[in-house]
Amino acid sequence: MKLLCEGISRRFFRNGKNTNFFNAVEKTFFELPEGAVTEIVGRSGSGKTTFANILSGLLTPTEGVLLIDGVDFFSLPDEKRSQFRNKNIGIVPQGQTGLSSLTVLENVLAPAFMYGDGKEKESLAKELLSQMDLFELCDVYSNELSGGELRRMSIARALINSPKIIIADEPTGDLDDDTTRLVLSLFRKKADEGASVLIVTHEHDALQYADQIYRMEKGVLSKEG
Amino acid sequence: MSFASGISIKNIKRKPFRSLLLFSLVLLIAFTLFSGAFVIISLRNGLECYQSRLGADIVVIPSSAKGHGSVDDILLSGITGNYYMSGKDFEKVASTEGIASITRQFFLTSAKASCCSARVQIIGFDPKTDFSIQPWISESYKNEIEDGDVVVGCNINGYDSGLITFYGQEYRIAARLEKTGTGLDNAIYTNMATVRQMAKNADRLLETSPFQGVDIETATSAVLIKVAEGYTIEEVADDINIHITKVEAKMAKSMISDISEGLLGTSRMIGILVALIWALALIILIIVFVLLSNERRKEFAILRVMGASQKMLSRIMGTEAAILCAAGAAAGIVLSLLIIYPLSASIKDMLGLPFLSPGIPVILLLALLSFALSLFAGMITALICARRITKNETGLLLREDA
Ligand SMILES: Nc1ncnc2c1ncn2[C@@H]1O[C@H](COP(=O)(O)OP(=O)(O)OP(=O)(O)O)[C@@H](O)[C@H]1O
Ligand SMILES: [Mg+2]
Repeated sequence: MKLLCEGISRRFFRNGKNTNFFNAVEKTFFELPEGAVTEIVGRSGSGKTTFANILSGLLTPTEGVLLIDGVDFFSLPDEKRSQFRNKNIGIVPQGQTGLSSLTVLENVLAPAFMYGDGKEKESLAKELLSQMDLFELCDVYSNELSGGELRRMSIARALINSPKIIIADEPTGDLDDDTTRLVLSLFRKKADEGASVLIVTHEHDALQYADQIYRMEKGVLSKEG
Repeated sequence: MSFASGISIKNIKRKPFRSLLLFSLVLLIAFTLFSGAFVIISLRNGLECYQSRLGADIVVIPSSAKGHGSVDDILLSGITGNYYMSGKDFEKVASTEGIASITRQFFLTSAKASCCSARVQIIGFDPKTDFSIQPWISESYKNEIEDGDVVVGCNINGYDSGLITFYGQEYRIAARLEKTGTGLDNAIYTNMATVRQMAKNADRLLETSPFQGVDIETATSAVLIKVAEGYTIEEVADDINIHITKVEAKMAKSMISDISEGLLGTSRMIGILVALIWALALIILIIVFVLLSNERRKEFAILRVMGASQKMLSRIMGTEAAILCAAGAAAGIVLSLLIIYPLSASIKDMLGLPFLSPGIPVILLLALLSFALSLFAGMITALICARRITKNETGLLLREDA
């Protein structure tokens, strides 16, 4: 699945004042190719998360269109867009994203149950959790996890519906080196299987897994190398 | 089970404090709604019952009745006095123009002394002409009241032997009457011949006889009149008041409207109170809902990331609210039934107004309505809160702290 940005930008207002605005993402043309790992690096506050959220369909761009397989994604009604995201886009957001009413296993399975019978995905969920070294914590409530454990849980959750697009915002931020390598090689594998993978990262180690690297600087995206 | 219901139940279980708070608030709302409506309806019932029992346009009592307890007292609180007009005065009243039907009653208070079983008000009426007591009695007792028989109000308890003693003589209890919620429930009814018999015994036994100079055989305590067509109630009442000096004609309608004004005032007050408590609880409910749901912005954002639609989030919030509100509303109604029902006697005493609890079907309907309204209030609030959150962009909600 190909993801295409045509002239996308996003404006924010400082302190909610209409007069004091700036572009967190400047007008951007960008393509996320299939079967490849694309990485975006950049300093803190440069607009990476803003851009990744637009690509995930979670934040509307001020200008421009997001085309997924040629379809203007933001013109779809909410119901359709949500179902599409559930099925095809695996998102690992920045920050902690566990549902505290659910156990680790239930958290991972939640996307599978939303529009279908997640029961059949239970073995996949357990497999993903053991890959993330979380199998023992299956039945623990997610608010009892450490930051790194939560992160790994959200990676397993993003992969439960075998999405064709993966968008991960600093997925290895709070992980140790070994786990970082584990996660990145898993994403690499998904790309090799045909997925379009986008990773926002600070880690230098990550770069060796990338097919193409972009740099975000004050909202301006440019290709590296 | 759908995803939405499954996760709603888990949310309720995993957040007991939040759940309990909403549950209690809805309980309060349902409780005030149901109890308030119950009391108001009971008051209205009481008045209606009272109005239909009375059935007279004019009540004529002797002037000497002043200060001895008025007709209002007789009908409302069962307090009567021993006051009598002569047979001559009754004839004068009866010959007034514009009377369609007329009937007389004879009041006698039993003494506390050993000659009587209890101190109650005895009301003698004339079954041949009566239109005020008979229709009500016939709901419980179809036969004619024989000489020596009495019919007792529902609050006169005991006397398993079926006998009751007044002024040294036993009388047979023929029937117990249905509840009216008024003072009528505390009185005893019999025919004229029997009450006059009792009066003669009283005259003999009491040191100071209440029948000073009045012939018991022809004495009358109150005359009830229905006005004929073509005459106004005022005309006839004025006619009696001007021409017959020893009696006083009171318009029953004005008595009823006095009571109903008091009742309307009270029920309006209760209504306002209930509305106030209800509105207050509703406002608190809305505030609590908004506060609680604000804490859930991140949770909703996470669900959106996983692909939940706005509709699905509303469904989750709606299901949670439905479960908690239904439980709270049911508990509130059961609680008010448990509290109000046994207390209705003391409520009645406190208000000093006719108070007649509605029947089971009305109670059920009331319960259903209170339930539906409480549920509705909670659900609407929940859905508005859900909508308020989901109209934000997920990308912005995600930045907020959990
Ligand atoms: N809702 C908002 N309102 C106003 N400004 C915002 C909002 N969201 C982000 N910004 C600003 O937009 C800029 C880009 O933010 P963004 O989160 O995209 O940066 P980032 O590159 O992901 O940084 P980091 O590496 O620290 O995660 C920042 O200057 C931030 O302060
Ligand atoms: Mg970021």
